[in-house]
Amino acid sequence: MGEVKKCVVWDLDNTVWEGVCLEGPVRLRPEVRQTLEELDCRGILHSIASRGDADTALQVLQNYKLTDYFLVPQINWQQKSANVVKIAEELGIALDAMAFVDDDVFEREQLAFMLPEVLTIDAGQVGELPQMAAFSPATLTQESRSRRLFYRAEQQRKQNEKQYPTREEFLKSCRMCLTVRHMKEADFPRVLELMSRTHQLNTTGKIFGPQELREMLQDKSGSVVVHVADLEDRFGSYGTIGVAIVISAVQPWRLIYLAISCRVLGRGIERAFLARLTEDARRQGLDTVEAAFRDTGRNKMMRSLYQMMGFRHRDSLTENGTLIFSARADKIPAVPRWVEVL
Amino acid sequence: MNRDIEKHLWEYVQKNCLPRHSEQVYSDDENLFESGILDSAGLVSLVGYVEETFDIIIPDEDLLPENFMSVKAIANYIRSWQQRQPQAMAMEV
Repeated sequence: MGEVKKCVVWDLDNTVWEGVCLEGPVRLRPEVRQTLEELDCRGILHSIASRGDADTALQVLQNYKLTDYFLVPQINWQQKSANVVKIAEELGIALDAMAFVDDDVFEREQLAFMLPEVLTIDAGQVGELPQMAAFSPATLTQESRSRRLFYRAEQQRKQNEKQYPTREEFLKSCRMCLTVRHMKEADFPRVLELMSRTHQLNTTGKIFGPQELREMLQDKSGSVVVHVADLEDRFGSYGTIGVAIVISAVQPWRLIYLAISCRVLGRGIERAFLARLTEDARRQGLDTVEAAFRDTGRNKMMRSLYQMMGFRHRDSLTENGTLIFSARADKIPAVPRWVEVL
Repeated sequence: MNRDIEKHLWEYVQKNCLPRHSEQVYSDDENLFESGILDSAGLVSLVGYVEETFDIIIPDEDLLPENFMSVKAIANYIRSWQQRQPQAMAMEV
């Protein structure tokens, strides 16, 4: 009990306000607002465990502009101890770091009986809380001041997760759009940057010089194509996140270089990009596609990407330390269902 | 059949690849890539976990759909490895 508390759970009727809100008009107790504000600045959270009708009570809090102070309010007809336990679980705070304020001595005693580790406080002492050691943290930081907002964001994220029963549905909700297009002159700086900064999602680790790249770009025979990929989702644009070089004049079609920014890991973009590139080959009626891979010690992910997408390495196909993988064009998995590719 | 390996794998997936309070139940056959649960980075992390937990070394050329597409495939892969290396059978997991 000697520790500083992290959360105060409030009763409402005759504690936060004078009167019972289901029975008629109520009046906010002035010291309540002060205590709420002061403890909030100290990084101590507030919640509610009150018997009554949630809509009515929340409306009163709204009228006094106090709603934002209270996280996960529990206003219902259940035992207050059950509500305090629920709040502790939702916020991830231990019961011995919780305090409970109520005007009713029976409620306080019952809570102390059910949950002895929670500190109980009479509503008459509300104005004194800021002076108590249990609500006086040794240090105050910018982080303490914004703790409530942090918890609130965390609550919203949890709500979001609950909203989408499966990972696929969550990914779909992000509305990812991958645009695969031919590289243009204006893409030069970003492509050179991607090539030099991408290590894990880089199939060969080769650094192309600007001159080399320019020659490929100026190739009019169509035998070398440099593709770039731009990604966008409902949160915004990620810009150009991938580059791929395909040689297709000589059979078979071969992906000689593929690099994807690590910023977009974890959502199947590399599968989408590779699937989209190989679709071209399939449309051209090619049976087999090839892809080059050179082990740099850091790019295992790319090897696993190739293999998981149906590519196999045959020992005979090794060129100067570069492994050549091949796949049947029609066996490569499709673009993931949650990515729209343009 | 002893399902310990599957249970370990699902615990890992639950902890690392699914929302914290997800109650969604997947079957051992669920394609982890098509359902967005794993991607290239996720697979490499999972491989590290499997190597450490089951004391095996997974060669890069074994990272194939038939070995890693689903929890069932991974569990079977681990079992076949354990059968090839009898001393590993003594390892309690």
